[in-house]
Amino acid sequence: MEKYSACDTCGHFNAQGLQKLGVKVEEVDYVIALAGNPNTGKSTVFNSLTGLRQHTGNWPGKTVIRAEGAYAYNDKKYKLIDLPGTYSLLSTSDDEEVARNFILFGKPDVTVVVVDASRLERNLNLVLQILEITDKAVLCLNLMDEAERNNISIDQRTLSRDLGIPVVATSARYNRGIPELIQTIEGVANGSIKCKAHHVINIPKNIKKATNNLVVELEKQFPKLPNKSWIALRLLQGDERIIKALESGELIVE
Amino acid sequence: MSKKVENIVEFANELRWQIGDELHDHLTESIYADAAKIASASVSTENSKKSFRLDAKIDKIVTSKIWGFPIMFLVLALVLWITIIGANYPSSMLATLLLDNVHPILKSFAASIGMPWWLDGFLIDGVYLALAWVIAVMLPPMAIFFPLFTMLEDFGYLPRVAFNMDYLFKKTGAHGKQALTMSMGFGCNAAGVVATRIIDSPRERLIAIITNNFSLCNGRWPTQILIATIFIGAVVPSSLSGFASVSAVISIAILGIGFMFLSSWLLTKTVLKGEVSTFNLELPPYRPPRIWKTIYTSLIDRTLIVLWRAMVFAVPAGAIIWLISNIYIGDESIAAWIINSLDGFGLILGLNGVILLAYIVAIPANEIVIPTILMLTVMVTGISGGEGAGVMFELDSVNETATILRAGGWTLLTAVNVMLFSLLHNPCSTTIYTIYKETKSVKWTVIASLLPLIMGFVVTFLVAQIWRVF
Amino acid sequence: MSYNPIIMLILFFVFLAIFLILFRPVKGYYWILKNSLKQNKKIVIEDILKQLYHCEISDKEVGIEFLSGVLKSKDTNILEAVKEMEAKDLISTQGNSIKLNTSGREYALKIIRVHRLWEKYLAEKTGYDKKEWHDRAELMEHKLDEKATNILASELGNPMFDPHGDPIPTQTGEIVELGGVTLSSLKRYDIGKIIHIEDEPDVIYRQILAENIHIGSYIRVIENNSKRVVFYAEGEEFILAPIVAANVTVLTIDNEEEIDKDLVRLSSLKENETGEIISISKESRGEARRRLLDLGFVKGSKVSLDLTGPMNNPRGYHIKGTTIALRNEQAIHILIKKSSQNGKV
Repeated sequence: MEKYSACDTCGHFNAQGLQKLGVKVEEVDYVIALAGNPNTGKSTVFNSLTGLRQHTGNWPGKTVIRAEGAYAYNDKKYKLIDLPGTYSLLSTSDDEEVARNFILFGKPDVTVVVVDASRLERNLNLVLQILEITDKAVLCLNLMDEAERNNISIDQRTLSRDLGIPVVATSARYNRGIPELIQTIEGVANGSIKCKAHHVINIPKNIKKATNNLVVELEKQFPKLPNKSWIALRLLQGDERIIKALESGELIVE
Repeated sequence: MSKKVENIVEFANELRWQIGDELHDHLTESIYADAAKIASASVSTENSKKSFRLDAKIDKIVTSKIWGFPIMFLVLALVLWITIIGANYPSSMLATLLLDNVHPILKSFAASIGMPWWLDGFLIDGVYLALAWVIAVMLPPMAIFFPLFTMLEDFGYLPRVAFNMDYLFKKTGAHGKQALTMSMGFGCNAAGVVATRIIDSPRERLIAIITNNFSLCNGRWPTQILIATIFIGAVVPSSLSGFASVSAVISIAILGIGFMFLSSWLLTKTVLKGEVSTFNLELPPYRPPRIWKTIYTSLIDRTLIVLWRAMVFAVPAGAIIWLISNIYIGDESIAAWIINSLDGFGLILGLNGVILLAYIVAIPANEIVIPTILMLTVMVTGISGGEGAGVMFELDSVNETATILRAGGWTLLTAVNVMLFSLLHNPCSTTIYTIYKETKSVKWTVIASLLPLIMGFVVTFLVAQIWRVF
Repeated sequence: MSYNPIIMLILFFVFLAIFLILFRPVKGYYWILKNSLKQNKKIVIEDILKQLYHCEISDKEVGIEFLSGVLKSKDTNILEAVKEMEAKDLISTQGNSIKLNTSGREYALKIIRVHRLWEKYLAEKTGYDKKEWHDRAELMEHKLDEKATNILASELGNPMFDPHGDPIPTQTGEIVELGGVTLSSLKRYDIGKIIHIEDEPDVIYRQILAENIHIGSYIRVIENNSKRVVFYAEGEEFILAPIVAANVTVLTIDNEEEIDKDLVRLSSLKENETGEIISISKESRGEARRRLLDLGFVKGSKVSLDLTGPMNNPRGYHIKGTTIALRNEQAIHILIKKSSQNGKV
C-alpha cells in the first residue's frame, strides 16, 4: 500500500489539504476535465475526488450526461467535469461531441485522462488524440490493482517521458494514489509542472503535406489560432463544428 | 460565412480531394501505431496468461452453447422472484402505516381544525392517498430489484447476456443490449428507458426506448396477480388454481416479450429505417461487486429518482380522481358521466367504462389502477363498501374484491382483457416524460406512447369478438 | 348485446386490408399514387438525358421506342419531351437516333452527380439498406438544386466515388474514367480487383448482394463457361451466373505478386487461431467503419477468436487486450492474414 501513497497515512494532508466539496461549484479557481475510455473506472476517480457517489457500472459507456463536482486543495477550488467515456474523439457520436467540445471549447486548466493500466495500448489511442488538442494533461493509470493481478508492470517514468505529461498510478476503488493525483493536478494547473505533449509522428506523408499546406494558410488568415495542425486535420475531415468555431472565433485565445 | 473562413474551407476541400477518402483510416492507424510503440516501451508482462484464464473460464461457461441460456433465464427468474416475494412484506407494512394509520389520523386532524369537507377530501383523500399508494406499492420492489440488477452489472455479467442474446435481437433489427434494458423494464419502464443509454447506436437505442413498455413492470405485476387469482384461478379445480393463475401471469409477461420483438421488427422496417445503425459490444473483465456501495448508489441513482418522478405525477392524478368523483354536472358526477360515455367503446373491447376511465386517470402510475377501479365500481354500481366518492381503496380479502368486481359486471373475458390491456397500453406518465427527456423528440415520444395503446385496442378487440363468437 | 361480433370482426379485417393495400411500404397504392403525381415533364426530360448519357458511354443507338421501353412511359409522352428538349438545344435527332448536345451532356452529368452523391450520403450518414439507395437517389436527383448539391458534396468531403464504385462528376462536370472489364469476360486464372458493382437491374443487384461480394476485393477466376463463373476472393469461393457476373466490373492485374493470396475474412478465424488485420473492406462505411477503427481493428493489430457464444453470432474477438464482440456481418468486412498455427497474441 505504501507503494501507492505516502500521503494516505499523513494526517496533515487529509485534514487540511483536501476538502471534498460535492456539487458545490461556485467561484472555482481551476476547471479540470476528466476524460477516458469507457470502463476504466473514470467515474470512480471522479467520486473519490469530489466525494460524490455517481453510479459506476461495469459497463462500457455508463456516464452519458456530463457530471460536475468540486474539491478544494491548498486553498484553491477545483471544478471537475466527468466527460462521457469514449474510445476516440474522431468519430461523430453524441458522446464524443460532448467530450471533444469540452476539451476544445471549455478550455479546462487540466485534462485528466483515466486509462486502464492493463489495457494501456488500447487506451493510448484516446490519450494521444487528447494530447493533439491540449498540452496540459495528466495521465491517470487507473486499475493498477488489476494490472498487478495480471502481472503487468508499467514503467511510469518512461511512459511519462514518451507522452510528455505527468503519469500517476491509482487504484481509485481503494483510494490509492488519489493524493498524488491531486498534487499533480495542482502542479499542472498552476504551471509548476510543465508538459510537452507527444504528437503523433507516424502520419502518412500525403496527409502530412496537406496538413502543412493548410497550416500555412491558417497562419496567414488566423495568426492567433492555437493548435493549428490539429485544426487543419479536422478541416481536412470536413468537421462542421470546427468550421463554425472558426467563423465565431471561439477558438482564438487572447 | 466570412470570406476568410470560406477560403480556408474551400482550400481544405481541394486538399481532401488529393488525399482521397481514407483520411480517418490512416489517422487511426498512425495513432495506434504510436500507441503500440509507446506501450511496448513501458509495459512489461510476465506470464499474464494465468490470470486471464479465470475471466476466460467464466466466459466459456456463461456464453456456452449448453449453459448460456439456462444460466441467463435462471438469473432473471431469481431476480424477479426475490423482488416479487421480497416486496410483499414491506409493501403491506407501508400500506398499513400510510393508508390504515396515517390516513385516519390526518382525517381526524382535519376534522379537529374544522377544515371544509371539500378541502379535506381534495387534499387528504385525493392527493395524499395517491401519493401514499404510489410509495407503498412502488418503493419496496424497486429497492430490491435495482440493487440486485446493479450488482449483476457491476460484476460484469450483463454484457455477456447482451452477447448471448444479440442474435435473437438482431433478427428484429435490435441490439443485444436491449435484452438488458428490457429486463430492467421488468423493474420499472422509466428506469429501463434511462438504461438504453448503454446502446450507442441511434437506431437500436430508439427501438429499445419505444419497446421498453412491453416489459411488464413492477407496477403491473400486482394487478396481473390479483386478477389472475380471482378469475383465472376460479375456472380450474381449486387444487390447480394457484398453478393456473401463475401460468397466466407468466404467459402475459412472455406475450409482452413477443410484442416487444414484433414491434422492434415493425419499427426497423418502417419509421426507423433511415436511422444509423452500428454494432459493437465490449466484454469487460469481471470485477467483484461492492455490495454496500452498490445498494447505496442504486437506491440514490435509480430508485429514488424514479420514485420522486412518480410522486410528482401522482399528486395531480390523486387530485383529479377526487375531483371528477365529487364535482357534479346535473345529478351525475363527472366520473359517472365519463364512464357512461366510455361504456360503449369499452364493451366492444371486452372492457368497460370504469376500466378505461381508471387507465386514463391512473396514467401517473399503474399502481393506482386497481384502487381506482374499485372506487369507481362501488360508486357507479351503488353497492355497499368502499370509502366514499373519490377515495381509492383496496381490500385485504381477495374474495371481497372479487365480489365488488363481479357486481361491476366483470366476467372471465373482462379479466383476460384487463390483463392484456394492462400489458398493452400507453406507458405511465413518468415513463413518457423520461422518453421525452432521453430522445428530446416529440415524434418518438408520441410513437412510444401510442403504439402500445393501439396494439392494446386491437388485441382486446379481437379477443373480445372471437370470445363472443364461440 | 345489440351488435354482432362476427360483423365487427369482418369490419375490422376489411379496414385492415384497405389500410394495408393503401399504405403497404413501397408497393402501397398511396405511395405509388404519390410518386406518379410527381411524374411531371421535368422528371421525364431528366430521365431521358440520363439514359442518353449512359447509352453514349456504351455506344448504343437510342430511339423513341427504346426510351419509352426503359422509362416505362407512353411513346407520346416521350415524343413530346424529345421535341421540347430539341427546342432547348439539349439533344439533336438524326432520323430515328437521338444524340446528346454539349449542354444536354452537362445537364445529364449534373443529375448523375446528385444521384451518386445522394447514394454516398445514404451510405455514409444514414442506416438505409443498400437495396434502397438506388430508388431513394432516383427520387432525390430531381429535387436538389445546384447549391444544395454543392453543400451536400462538401459535407461528404467531396467524394470521388459513390458506394457502388461509380465515379461522381465534379461541380464542373469532370468525371473520372472507370476502366476495367466485366467479370464475365475474364478467363480462367485471371486475377483482378473488383472496382464496380452495377445496381441496376434490381434483381441482379440483389443476387450480388446476397453473395457478399465486395468492391475492393481481389479475385482469381477458376472457371468461366456459359453456365457459371467461379472465382476465389478473400479465402472463399463464389459462383455466379454469367449474366450476374456481367454486372461486376474488374480491373485486371498482370502481376501476381500484387495480390495477397492468404487474405481471408475475419469471420473465417477459428478458435485458437490468431491473425493479423490487413484491411477493412470498403463495404464497411460511415459511422460503423469509424467505430471498428476506434476499437482497434486497424492494420497490423493481432486478433484471435475468444468466444463463439451460444449462437455462433456474434463472436468475441480478443484484440489489444480486450474482448470485443462483432457480428459475423461485420467480421466478413475485416480482412486478415492468419498467423502460423497456435500463434499467441
